[in-house]
Amino acid sequence: MTFRAVCLAGSAVLAFAAAAPVAAQGTVEVAIVGDPDTFDPMMSTKDVVSIVTQHFMETLYTFDDNWAVVPLLAADMPTISEDGLTYTIPLRKGVSFQDGSAMDSADVLASLQRWEKVASRGQGIADKIDSIKAGGPNEITITLNEPYSPLLSLLAFSNSAAVIYPEEIIADTIDKPIGTGPYKLQAYEPDQYTQLVRFDGYTQPGEAAGKRQQIPDEIRFVPVPDTSTRVEGLLSGQFDYADSLSTEAYDRIAKSEVAEPVLLEPFGWPIFAVNHKKGLMTDLNIRRAVQAALPFDDMLFAAFGDEKFFQTDGAFYPEGWTWRNDAGTELYNINDQEKAAAYLKEAGYDGTPLRILTSRQYEFHYQMAEVARMALEMAGFTVQMDVVDWATLAQNRDNPDLWDMYITHSPFLPEPALTSSFFATAREGWNNPKKNEILDRFTRETDPEKRKAIYAELQKVAYEDVGLIKVGNFNALQGKAKNLSGVRPSPWPAFWNASTAE
Amino acid sequence: MSRYLLRRLIGMVVVIFLVLTIAFVLVRLAPGDPASLLLGPDATPDEVVALRRRLGLDQPILVQYATFVGNALQGNLGESLFFNQPVTQVLASRAEPTAFLALFSLLVALVIATPIGIWAAYRRGSVLDQGSITTAMLAASVPSFLTGLIFQRYLATDLGWFPASGYGGAGAGFGTRMWHLVLPSITLGITNSALILRFTRASMLDILGEDYVRTARAKGMTERRVVLRHALKNAGIPIITVIGLTFALLVSGAVVTERVFNLPGMGNLVVNAVLRRDYPVIQGTLIVVAGLYVLVNLLTDLLYLVVDKRVKY
Repeated sequence: MTFRAVCLAGSAVLAFAAAAPVAAQGTVEVAIVGDPDTFDPMMSTKDVVSIVTQHFMETLYTFDDNWAVVPLLAADMPTISEDGLTYTIPLRKGVSFQDGSAMDSADVLASLQRWEKVASRGQGIADKIDSIKAGGPNEITITLNEPYSPLLSLLAFSNSAAVIYPEEIIADTIDKPIGTGPYKLQAYEPDQYTQLVRFDGYTQPGEAAGKRQQIPDEIRFVPVPDTSTRVEGLLSGQFDYADSLSTEAYDRIAKSEVAEPVLLEPFGWPIFAVNHKKGLMTDLNIRRAVQAALPFDDMLFAAFGDEKFFQTDGAFYPEGWTWRNDAGTELYNINDQEKAAAYLKEAGYDGTPLRILTSRQYEFHYQMAEVARMALEMAGFTVQMDVVDWATLAQNRDNPDLWDMYITHSPFLPEPALTSSFFATAREGWNNPKKNEILDRFTRETDPEKRKAIYAELQKVAYEDVGLIKVGNFNALQGKAKNLSGVRPSPWPAFWNASTAE
Repeated sequence: MSRYLLRRLIGMVVVIFLVLTIAFVLVRLAPGDPASLLLGPDATPDEVVALRRRLGLDQPILVQYATFVGNALQGNLGESLFFNQPVTQVLASRAEPTAFLALFSLLVALVIATPIGIWAAYRRGSVLDQGSITTAMLAASVPSFLTGLIFQRYLATDLGWFPASGYGGAGAGFGTRMWHLVLPSITLGITNSALILRFTRASMLDILGEDYVRTARAKGMTERRVVLRHALKNAGIPIITVIGLTFALLVSGAVVTERVFNLPGMGNLVVNAVLRRDYPVIQGTLIVVAGLYVLVNLLTDLLYLVVDKRVKY
């Protein structure tokens, strides 16, 4: 009996060893960090949702290579009334949805009204929108209660996105998204792949948005939660592109014959979010003590290990961005524990633990928190590290009783007003009157040069009042097959122009 | 016999009901809100409240429990919060890779463990015996994620002999899917061969010292016939027990291997479900795994009847 089992085992191993893997032609395989939670990009702010859905859903506007807003489903930039309250947006003609119907203003109207209702970014400006009206089959008019300059960036952003659906499918929940994008959703096997195929009825947007050439027949997004598995898949030639890789894999990928690293430099900024609603950090002197104590260069080094992957930089936007300025940055990276101790004394600090909420979901968060803890303890703080899984962190940070600081990160967003931490309504509750007044001016101002100057004021007050704590800039690592071209490095890489040379 | 079977079946129902209750309580004791996770980092508190209401998570815990048990009794394990599909459907779609991975791993473990175990017992005290014990300890000591990563790096990435991960992708045929199980099966099989090897060796050692084995040899039977026909058959019950337990362990314990090789099986599903706080899927998986355990135990006990005619229930 046992020998029979042995023989069976041997034959089974040989049988499946003989079967050969099959590779499809014209397919780009992309390893992503997990399944998208939804294919309705209005409903989520997760990057993985944006990466996938941008291929089949489109917005009225998008960003060009320099992060300037350019028309996508709109035919042109809007005509804005002199008082800055009315945006008249011309729509492109001849645009088809993937169900064959033609896009018109009724679809745009219904979609934008849904966006106001269900999308977090839409809800955020709903009280500023007086009305949205169709002005004929190819025109839409948005009227505001007060000038709000980030409107176009919000309409362009692929995250909590104002995408356009056919009016007929508009509902609170959309399970089968139909868009106007260059690809359409063909199949979804949870935990296995999302398969997109070319949409033959696609019409190209204007030149500013760039051509979406629909080169691959298929794009497959494969959820691979484990970072080392994504690396091995890339290096073995299984994937053409892999998102969000550990920086430790950089050298291996660089030495590979089949793949090469893609460094997004810089990608974003780690942030210590400050609880302004309750607890220790509501005291300005305590916040200043934290700011004075933290050694940002050491924290970045501990988190990323190599200067290839980070920059010790206090400006909220990196070099090359229009929003960059140095206002307030003299308060960055002070690394003076004695000065921090003096602030603590002034605050009458009684040893109440400073609770840092963090997770090991992103190892660099935890590593930064560990270095921060040591520096804060040297300054005289009692530090309580609450290290939890990401699900718990996501829940606990909504309860201001449970934390004083939590660690997060964000890519550099094209419009500063998209950073929710600046707003008093965010979970951090930063409700400083001076900041509120500056932010109000910033969102009302439409002149780009004046907005830059006001943003410098906003950054300055963020340092002076310790509204949020920027740790530095960090680079993200992605990887691509050596024979893959046509993909612009981005936090949200798109694959409609991707081609693989034979 | 029928009374025995009835008793066991009632026991199975009790165990599954207990698991069902424990699963329900445990997943809700864990902090973390599925609605916050599903909506993403910038969701407003109002959105979270609305989604909790839509998912039924705002109901009192007893109402949720009563609904859960009532539905489970009708074979309805609820709907996945993440996939928006019935849990039974989600589990069914994950059954194939897990079942074949368990089966192939068991075969790999048997191919390695059984002949070596028999030979080690037969040559007790020899270099092979000592070597096999040491190797078994080593195989049992190295965690499967490490073995998996090493195999993945050298056999898949560097040598290109096997796929590094996944289950073949869209439209993959049965052969391709099975091909993707080779490396995970070897990984898991090696780790699990140690226990079977040790049981086989110990069981055979006991039997080889019995009088009837000496008698068989005295009658002039060949050593091959003595070992394989007389000794191995009588050493079967403990070996079957450990094989049964190993199979149940493989079905439920392939979590790490499925993760490393990114296989869309039940192990990977349950890890993702925990991270996403997908309560119905966690509960459903626990119930299915508990049911499998109990069933495999029952089948193992029934197999004794076939192997040893002296066993009576």
